[in-house]
Amino acid sequence: MYVIETYNLTKKYGNKNVVNNVSLKVKKGIIFGFLGKNGAGKSTFINMITGLTIPSSGSFTLLSNKNIKEQRKRFGVMPDYSEFYGDMTAFDHLKFFSKLLGIKLTREDIIQILKRVGLEDAINLKTKKFSFGMKKKLGIAQAILNKPDLLFLDEPTSGVDANSILSIHSLIKDISKQGTTIFLTSHNLDEVEKLCDEIAIIDKGIIKLQGPIEKIKSDYRDNLTIIIKHGKIPENVFSELEYQLKMYSSNITWGMNHVHLMVKDEYTISEINRLFLKMNINVFRIEVEEPTLEEIFLGT
Amino acid sequence: MITIALREFKKLFRSIRSIIIIFLIFLVTLETAKLINKFPLVLQVLNLGDHAYSVGLMVLIVLASPLFVSILSHNVINEELKSRTIRFIATKTSRDNIILGKFLGTLLFWGICVFVALILIIPFAKEFYFRLFLHSIIYISYFLGLTILLSTTIPNPMLTTFINLILSIVMPILGLWSMGSDNIFLKLYSYITPYFFYSQDKEPYYYFVLLFTIIFLGLSLTIMRKRDL
Repeated sequence: MYVIETYNLTKKYGNKNVVNNVSLKVKKGIIFGFLGKNGAGKSTFINMITGLTIPSSGSFTLLSNKNIKEQRKRFGVMPDYSEFYGDMTAFDHLKFFSKLLGIKLTREDIIQILKRVGLEDAINLKTKKFSFGMKKKLGIAQAILNKPDLLFLDEPTSGVDANSILSIHSLIKDISKQGTTIFLTSHNLDEVEKLCDEIAIIDKGIIKLQGPIEKIKSDYRDNLTIIIKHGKIPENVFSELEYQLKMYSSNITWGMNHVHLMVKDEYTISEINRLFLKMNINVFRIEVEEPTLEEIFLGT
Repeated sequence: MITIALREFKKLFRSIRSIIIIFLIFLVTLETAKLINKFPLVLQVLNLGDHAYSVGLMVLIVLASPLFVSILSHNVINEELKSRTIRFIATKTSRDNIILGKFLGTLLFWGICVFVALILIIPFAKEFYFRLFLHSIIYISYFLGLTILLSTTIPNPMLTTFINLILSIVMPILGLWSMGSDNIFLKLYSYITPYFFYSQDKEPYYYFVLLFTIIFLGLSLTIMRKRDL
């Protein structure tokens, strides 16, 4: 079952398509990472499906429902570039937002939510005195007020210190464990790799890749980096070896008794191995480096 | 809508500008009523009718309420857009509720102010001027609707401050002028402002002004629904 389905969703600003015909499906219960560089269209996309931005064309359904009033009760949003009322405390905000959502929360309920995001010491502190990290946490708190089935987190850790990042990550995992589907945008690849089950990569408004992280990585194994630890190479064969290797890889870096190569696939590895043996060069070890999400991301 | 209205209402009562305006309204209303009470003959000469004791409040509302509304509410929508506080609200309630809530909250604030001012007159007039209360609220609602429309249309709060300030000074002057002028432009102007309707003897004309308020709100809602937040 899909909780987010978009069909050719497009947003134009002037002649520029910031989001271009994006069709995306997100399964229930997963943490979905939406990756892209700054200005790739991540926030515009999330803003469209959460009702903050009006799409130029296309359509979408959230939680199998097209009625925005019904959707609002079941999803939570932490939008990027948002601000709280400086004259209100964390508690006041959550009380105010819960009333807007039409849900009744006791003082104890609100305190529990603030404790959950680690803001128990700032319950009665006005948000104008909040640090950036505290605002991010309050942003998550207001998004989970209604115990949402679907949670949108737009850049939840950008600009946040390392300690806060860890606690936000643990909170996201905790929320996910309770069955909430999380749609997370980020340009922090490490974060996405740690947290997400599936990802989509958007660039210049177009989805370049989409699917489970493991599948995307395996699809990208045709760009493997291998390290061959070898024995002594006789001087008279070195140039011949290098010439032969260049037929398999254009990216060769020689080290002391090892060579880094970027190869297309696993078959090439065995051919290179044969080449070394043919030239009577000992091969002690061949290490294959998995492509990181960053390499995939930068390669899109 | 009610939640937003109540927040707007409370916010207005907490601001120092509102406190000064409320104080001014009460002071002018009370002092004028006291003054008129001292000179009952003036009442007869001026033929001020039943609403004599409220003359200070009436003058203040006709001349200064556009300015007061402008001072307090010129950035009621665009400030939220600029500071991006609206993004948290807009994911929890509809944009219509935001506009209507802000309108109702501000109107409630003015309702309470005028209501209390009219209560202050009771010791002199021995009655509560309910109709005057209603007419004042309708008059204020026109300018409030216009202010909300400008604040929704123009994203820059500084610009709306300037435009509202000019309009709130020019509009009552032109309005009062149009009431005694045959100039065709001024006449046309009076038809799209409360001044023609408020210069008529028949009371139903007063309620016609509400139509403009509804038009202003309708336009604000339409613009807001199409706006990216």
